[in-house]
Parts: sequence; C-alpha cells; structure tokens
Amino acid sequence: MKEKLINALAEALEMDASKIKLEDKFRDYENYSSLTELSILAMMDSEFGIELEMKDFNNLTTVNDLLDYIEKNNK
Amino acid sequence: MALLTFTNTGISGLTAAVPRYKINNYEFDRYFSKDEIKGVVDKIGVIERRFADEKTCSSDLCHAAAEKLFKEMDINREEIDLLLFISQTPDYRMPATSVILQERLKLPSSTITLDINLGCSAFLYGLTVVYSMLLTGGIRKALILDGETRSKVYSLKDRKTGFLFGDAGVAALVEKNEKFGHSWFSLNSDGSRADLIKIPAGGYRMMSSCETVKEKVVDEYGNIRSDEQGYMNGADVFNFVIREVPKDFYRLLEYSGTDISTINYFVFHQANSYINGFLAKKLKLPDEKVPATIHKYGNTSSVSIPLTIVSELREKLIGHKRLLLSGFGVGLTWGTAVIDVEDCFIGEIVEI
Repeated sequence: MKEKLINALAEALEMDASKIKLEDKFRDYENYSSLTELSILAMMDSEFGIELEMKDFNNLTTVNDLLDYIEKNNK
Repeated sequence: MALLTFTNTGISGLTAAVPRYKINNYEFDRYFSKDEIKGVVDKIGVIERRFADEKTCSSDLCHAAAEKLFKEMDINREEIDLLLFISQTPDYRMPATSVILQERLKLPSSTITLDINLGCSAFLYGLTVVYSMLLTGGIRKALILDGETRSKVYSLKDRKTGFLFGDAGVAALVEKNEKFGHSWFSLNSDGSRADLIKIPAGGYRMMSSCETVKEKVVDEYGNIRSDEQGYMNGADVFNFVIREVPKDFYRLLEYSGTDISTINYFVFHQANSYINGFLAKKLKLPDEKVPATIHKYGNTSSVSIPLTIVSELREKLIGHKRLLLSGFGVGLTWGTAVIDVEDCFIGEIVEI
C-alpha cells in the first residue's frame, strides 16, 4: 500500500517518487498547488476508493497521514 | 429525495447564440505569464471561450437564439404561453429579465414570464418547472431562454477562475407530444456549501459600496478580486462533485429503470475538462457518447448543457434518442435527468 501511494502521489504531483518520504508534509512540495490538489483528491478516489470530506483532507498533513487514512478507510 | 417523472412533454427545438469575440486562453497573457497560463489551461482544458462586449447581456444572446428558433421552426409567437428565463447575470435587479424579453420577442401579454436564479444545474430545474406547467393543460408552447455572461462575473486577475468562464445563450421550445414518452429527473441542493461558489457583495446582505468594488489581493498566490466578483473554492467543489454526481447518476437510473446501454448521449455540465474527464472515467462512459464543448466555449454555467447539445449533437438527434443530462454547481445544487427527444430541431450556432 505504501509503495502504491507513493507512486500515485508522485504521478499526481508530477514529481519523482524517490523524492517522496512518509514524514514529508505533502503541501510543502514545490509542485503542490490548487491544481495538483485536485489530482490528489482524484487519486484518492480512483486508486483507493476513498471519498474524502474536505474537512478530513485538510486535517491530513504528511504522506503518512494519507497512508493511515487509506488503511483505515480502504473499501 | 426529489425524484420526478413526466409524461409526453419534451424539447422540440434548440438554438444557441455566442458572442463573436473569441479569447484564446494560451495567448491571454494580460495578467499572467504564458508559462503560468499553460499550467492552468492544460488542466482545465479551456482553449477558447467567448466574451460578450460591454453592451451585450445574457438576454441579448438568448434573444438572438430565440429569433432564430422562431424563424427556422416557423413558430407562431401567439402560441407561446410561458417564457422562462434562466440566468444569474440578468439585465437588472428588477424587473425580471423574462418580462423584458416578452416585449422584445413580441410575445402576447397573456404569456407567463418567470426568472430562475440558479447556476450550473438550472437547465434541469427549468425543464421541470416548464414540464409541470405544461401538464396543467393550459399552456400550448413554452420557451426556455437560458443565458449567461460569466465573463463579467469573475476577476481576470484571479487565476482560479480567470481562465474558465465564457458567455452564451440558448433558446428551447418545449411542448406536449406523445412522442416524448417518459422523462425522469433527480434534483438536489445543499445550502451548507453556499460559500464554495459565491459573489459575496452586491445583493442585499452586503450591499454595493465603494469598499465592495475595490480590488484586493485575496490569497498567498497573489490572486486579485473584489467582493463583487465571483469566488470559487475549486478543490471543495471538485471533491463534492466526484462524490455526489455519480451517486445521483445511479439513483436516477435506478428510479427510472433505465438500462444505461439505451442512453445515446450523456451530456454533462461543462465544468472543466479535468472534472468532466474524471466523471466520465469514474462512470465508465464511452468517449463517443460524452459530447464536450469545454475546449471551445469554456464553462458557461447553466447554458453549458443545452449549448453542448446544439454544438455537438446537431446532426445526431435524428429519430428517437435518449439523453442523460447532469448538472452541478453553484448553490450547491445538482441534478440528473433522462429525457427522450425525437427529430429535435437544432439550429446552427448564431454569432452576435
């Protein structure tokens, strides 16, 4: 699951997967913007079947938070 | 759960008008660099859009579309008993623009005129209002005029909305006829999300003042707008749409007992190509059944569904066809419809 998330996140953010670490705050990546945010939301839905409320998404800070959320809510 | 069924009412003709003036988004570098623009435009897929000039209103675009409809369908104006105008860019705060259009189109004073103030889902809402009134039996023909000049609503200095919207107007003739058979609608609203797409000032909650027209830097990206210009929280809207629109889609298919394979075309509100592409993929719809105009007219709010029918299905609605319509946006409101058309007249798009 970890590897799948990192690859999907790298694709959404158009960056190299090797530069993504679990402890990173994903909103701090240079490529993070209001446009790539849509790609992350889309990725959570299409890759992991996660339909997020924005208030929940806004509480997720690190890549590891995304992973935890997916592991708890993956259908 | 608002689910509606109608029998023997439908659209017999559709025309559209767009402003002559084209904006090429990749070249529209008045406020942002071409590099910056490319990132936005590649994502939203709006290559071109049309802007009305200072003097042209939504009603003018609808008027041009209606005149073409009357002429080419040889409609007797005396038989128009209902005129519904759909827009969030009306001529005035009062009177209602539909009344002004009644006079401009030389319709009889016995015509019922009514405005609906809704956005991207409004064509579906409008159809249900008109279908309901037609079924009372007292109305011979109804005219829906749906127009928007969204280019005047949003700041061109706000990259979140400055490259997205365009202007257009449509006219639809709606009648009773056994050929239409059944049609089904699901309509929804969620006012708790009203702040996601909004013009805060200029109404009566925050009236116009010197302060409300001042341009301000509104975020860390340096986007600029006034309180009298539109705001949109794209991520929240996107997230809402990808969750709720598919649910409504399947709810209506189930309610209507429609086999998805019997639908000839799925016509979605043209929000932006990223949202539309995502929805089509999530719903597993074949590309050839999902017409799009986002690349050439942008997001025209409530007009985008009928405009897409006029632009993309003009040669394709011969004989009996089934359409699924899906509208979603400001309010937030959203809806899905399954309607049948038969030999629907569709005029060529007028440029004014």
